[in-house]
Amino acid sequence: MAVDAVDLEVPAGSVYGFLGPNGSGKTTTIRMLLGLIAPTSGEVELLGEPMPKAHLRVLPRVGALVEGPAFYPFWTGQANLLRFDAADRTADPKTRKARAGEALERVGLSNAAGKKVRAYSLGMRQRLAIAVALMQRRELLVLDEPTNGLDPQGTREVRHLIRDLASDGTTVFTSTHLLAEVEQVCTHAAIMNRGKLLRQSTVADLRAELRPRLVVRTPDLGAAADTLQGLGVTELKTTEETVEGDPGELPIEKFAAALVAADVRIHGFGLERPSLEDTFVALTGEGFDVAE
Amino acid sequence: MGVAQRSRRWLVPVTTVAVVAGVGALGPVVADASPKLPTITAQDLLAKVQTAKVDGLSGTVRSNADLGLPSIPGMAPGSRELTDLLGGQHTARVAFASPDKAKVSLIDNQAEQLWTTDGKSAWAYDSSKREATKLTLPAHKTTKPEKALPESYDPQAVAKQFLDAIDPTTAVQVSGTEKVAGRDAYKLRLVPKTDKTTVGSVTLAIDSKTWVPLDVTVMPRTGNDPAVELGFTSVSFDVPSASSFTFTPPKGVKVTDQKVPATRERPHSVPPKLVKPAKPGAAQADEPTIIGQGWDSVAMIRGADTAGLASNPAAGPLAQLLAKAPTVQGSWGKGKVLTTKMVNALITDDGRVFVGLVTPDTLQAAAAKAPR
Amino acid sequence: MSPSEATAEVTEVTEVRPSAGRHAVALFISELRLVFGRARTQVGLGVLAAVPLLIGIAIKLSGNDGGTEGFIGQVAGNGLFLIVASLGLSLPFFLPTAVTVISGESLAGEASLGTLRNLLTAPAGRSRLLAAKMVALTVFCLVATMTIWVSGLIVGFILFPVGDVLLLSGSTVSLGEGLLRALVIAVVISLSLLGLAAIGLFVSSLTSTPLAAMAATFGTFIVLGIMTAIPQLHAIHPWLLMYRWQSFADVLRDPPYWHDIGRNLLLQAGYVAVFYTAAWARITSRDIT
Repeated sequence: MAVDAVDLEVPAGSVYGFLGPNGSGKTTTIRMLLGLIAPTSGEVELLGEPMPKAHLRVLPRVGALVEGPAFYPFWTGQANLLRFDAADRTADPKTRKARAGEALERVGLSNAAGKKVRAYSLGMRQRLAIAVALMQRRELLVLDEPTNGLDPQGTREVRHLIRDLASDGTTVFTSTHLLAEVEQVCTHAAIMNRGKLLRQSTVADLRAELRPRLVVRTPDLGAAADTLQGLGVTELKTTEETVEGDPGELPIEKFAAALVAADVRIHGFGLERPSLEDTFVALTGEGFDVAE
Repeated sequence: MGVAQRSRRWLVPVTTVAVVAGVGALGPVVADASPKLPTITAQDLLAKVQTAKVDGLSGTVRSNADLGLPSIPGMAPGSRELTDLLGGQHTARVAFASPDKAKVSLIDNQAEQLWTTDGKSAWAYDSSKREATKLTLPAHKTTKPEKALPESYDPQAVAKQFLDAIDPTTAVQVSGTEKVAGRDAYKLRLVPKTDKTTVGSVTLAIDSKTWVPLDVTVMPRTGNDPAVELGFTSVSFDVPSASSFTFTPPKGVKVTDQKVPATRERPHSVPPKLVKPAKPGAAQADEPTIIGQGWDSVAMIRGADTAGLASNPAAGPLAQLLAKAPTVQGSWGKGKVLTTKMVNALITDDGRVFVGLVTPDTLQAAAAKAPR
Repeated sequence: MSPSEATAEVTEVTEVRPSAGRHAVALFISELRLVFGRARTQVGLGVLAAVPLLIGIAIKLSGNDGGTEGFIGQVAGNGLFLIVASLGLSLPFFLPTAVTVISGESLAGEASLGTLRNLLTAPAGRSRLLAAKMVALTVFCLVATMTIWVSGLIVGFILFPVGDVLLLSGSTVSLGEGLLRALVIAVVISLSLLGLAAIGLFVSSLTSTPLAAMAATFGTFIVLGIMTAIPQLHAIHPWLLMYRWQSFADVLRDPPYWHDIGRNLLLQAGYVAVFYTAAWARITSRDIT
């Protein structure tokens, strides 16, 4: 089973990160939501309407980028936009050119509008694909791996664009296998693994589920460990350079004072907030980058 | 929508296949359903046919012959046209206007052969060669038998005579009704009483309004497919205008003039190439003699150089065919039998050819009776 | 892959755009742009336009004054027959090849580019997209034969004398009526190609590889052609796609003989009905990846 009972609640105006390693069922879920594939059993609903039954009613409200940008390479960027817009019978042909111009400007492709897509870089194609979704005012944007294959500059641009769109009030649903992306861009996130939805929540809440850890960098590992244990730190772990553990309820400065008092040389000291990766490991019991 | 629901969509094309196949296969049958007509006796029907008189008609005739002729490989192109005409499907548009105007155009693949006469001259035109042949007909007074008959002419009597004449050999009955060329017609069925012939039955479809025969079907004694079917697929009894029978040779068409001897009757409807001898051996043959009568009559032709042909397979495809044919012998001598679905022939070594719509045994019996 | 269930809900709706099916034609126009805007199509039409030119030049150079049988023999005497001869000579191979390429490309091409996803999420609607494809194919068939008609007209009138037109039945009609009849022939031939176009559309819906679709469609065409040529199969001949293709010449009889042309068009309609609905069943149930 590729996907089993996935119920995603995407709050309006949120940037919703759909997170999971490659092969976890993200794209399958998105294809089903957009009516591209049929479930072997069960129902699919999008925006409260059954899919694909209501797709002609629902999909005009949704802008989508599925599985990488796909265009007619022998046509210009603008011609591509016009064709996909013409496919939507709710789109007004009178304003089509103007809307294409705006969408291209929005993604920064105005100068390349007249160039054949064949000559576009991957980043430009990715942005053109987002422009397709922006041809109309949408309630929901579904972006499948929008930064996949982009260079750092392109990635930054796309993430910036997503934040911009969200600040305009559009709900953005973006799937990714990059934790950093969710941390930087998203307000909400869902974690998917092996076709099952493990968790969905705000990003802040997901992070807060794990307690911060006290990390002491020191050459005097033994002494530091003893001192911290004496203060009630649990889950102590000693690595080559650090001693770390759960500080419990004590304020952090007490630990510093105690370590100094015990003549432990301190090279580094602080609380480390857990990353989403930690959350993920805690939820699945395995590393994030493990692909199925 | 689940996968199962989606796969149900394939019922639509499957249904379409069924509907298309059904319409294609059954459509003609439904259209040709037997019409309801008042019952009529064979004698009355024949009497009506006698009175049938149309001033003109036009229509499309389709012929379908399956005589079971052997295909002869490498046959000369000229004679191939003959077998083409004898076998296979042909469509012709025909028009006729009383008393002496007629036109036949044979619809070929991307070509047409036309024969037309307006009573004074006759034309034959072949579109593939773009050649026209003009026949000037001898000026003679047409003696129309209809006009010569007195008013007392009694169709019933003629019909009775005809039935009496054929009664010993043939069962005649009205075997139902059918639609031919969109018209209601009676079916008149003639069944030979003898089993010596290869003919199973001959069925005429006779129009219930004009009493003109619209279709002839000849069934062989064995098999379910007609050996010959010739009939209208569409017909109109409006008299065609006189201008439709005239032919003006167009520019760029080669015209050949031919004079017709005054003794020849109705030369116009005979395509020139049909007159040509088709068999190499038949050229020096005599006029045929008819042996027997009715269905099992056999024609005897003398003087065919059959022995020479059979002994020399290199002589041509006909000789090859003969070489393969089974040899039979009897009190009459020795010879080869050529069999087809309908027509059978016995070619004796002494150069006689017996042909008929009869079984090979009947041919041998005829040969035994025949004068040498 | 056996996905089971998925839902996504945006809890608050920000704005609802009025949605109505008012601009349904746009996709059909866009489809025509896609077919005719491609260099491939234009080259194909160029090749078709060259057919009358090549035939015309060959006849002119050989100095043939009409000894040959059939329409080709009449070209030297009347340039109008260049139209008919070119249409007739393009029917067995050039036109079917062009139709095969365009129809094989239609859905498989979109699938291989990935643009099918974009169209379906636009949403084009699967049935409507298929209809747009079939309409575009029909227009292509018409444009293809009209290309030959126009090219034949131009070349024929430049290279050869023109005048009254000799029909198969031995009668003559005016040049104007001759042109009109040649136009009817072009339309009849383009309609004759629709069965093949529908087969190509169906095959194209099965795969994401346009070349495979073209090869399979052309293979089907060849097999049907071979079956039509085998006399032992005469019982099924009337059901074969190309059985009455040559009937277009019946337009040049006096009066035109419509029976076989009608049968041909009915047969084409049957093929279109079967393969179009099969393509519909396929495209509406296909998982688009």
